[in-house]
Amino acid sequence: MFVYDKKLQFPVKIDRPNPRLASVIISQYGGPDGELGASLRYLSQRYSMPFDELKGLLTDIGVEELGHLEMVGALVHQLTRNLKDSQIQDSAFAPYFVDHTVGVYPQFASGTPWTAATIAVKGDPIADLTEDLAAEQKARVTYDNILRLSDDPDVNNVIKFLREREVVHFQRFGEAIELLREKLNKKNVYAMNPAMDM
Amino acid sequence: MEMHNRKKCGTGVLPPVAPLANPYVPFQRENPTTYQPRKALVRGTLYPSLDLPFMGMVNNKEKAVTPLTELQTLAFVIQELALYLDTHRDDKDALEVYCEYKQKYEEALKQYEAQCGPLSHKAACCGKEYRWLDDPWPWEYAANRGV
Repeated sequence: MFVYDKKLQFPVKIDRPNPRLASVIISQYGGPDGELGASLRYLSQRYSMPFDELKGLLTDIGVEELGHLEMVGALVHQLTRNLKDSQIQDSAFAPYFVDHTVGVYPQFASGTPWTAATIAVKGDPIADLTEDLAAEQKARVTYDNILRLSDDPDVNNVIKFLREREVVHFQRFGEAIELLREKLNKKNVYAMNPAMDM
Repeated sequence: MEMHNRKKCGTGVLPPVAPLANPYVPFQRENPTTYQPRKALVRGTLYPSLDLPFMGMVNNKEKAVTPLTELQTLAFVIQELALYLDTHRDDKDALEVYCEYKQKYEEALKQYEAQCGPLSHKAACCGKEYRWLDDPWPWEYAANRGV
């Protein structure tokens, strides 16, 4: 069960609309390393996790990622409010606009709709947690890249917050692998699949 | 033996029989240094040791104190402690701090809801009117004004 808190995890207040930035930030909504994929990856991987720490951590980070999805949606929404025709016509935002107007649609910056092909649920805890380490790094780099593309301090405050969360999550997933190793045969964690064979 | 290995990992040294073909991330040590809550929120982490900004781009300016940012700050500390406890379940000090912030959150929540309306659907029945629907919603500019 999920319940909704009517607040963002971190304030999003964008004074100046900027459709060009919205057209790249949308990638963290529904792009290959975005927050939608992050939340679905972790929340889906929970089911085959063998130990309570791993179930708890994937739940807690997966839920936080849903909060980040909402923050990225808020960014795109506020960056595209009250647009003048001229701001749309000559902007990188025009291809997005023609398909989605100023709705928030989960897609890559390059236009591909969100796809589950960008996430993995292998059903083996070592494989899945190792995927999660990589996922956090890729999301972190995407935020790095957004910081390179943006000079709006209102946007960057939010992006820096989200980027740092990826660093923290990476640390926790790394610790989760160590906890898993403590519980399995340390010398050969590949001796079996604890999701199936325990 | 396990705790012995954990301690060694905590200092960045692999255990003597470290198996290969595995990723290793050193454990964050217990009783980690923490930021003050309002600083933690803008930095995106409670822990200075995990605060690793890109190209020196740091959020230095803390958010203005409002009922909303007070709630966001306390909820953020609680979230950070929860993720820490998920991998450090035996750290009793962290659990104590977690409970302390949970209480602070409950108090801040009462103030927030009295001033700003229900945070959750279930809280919407506490008045004469159904205030759950009241604008602004969190993603709107107006909801974040003044922070």
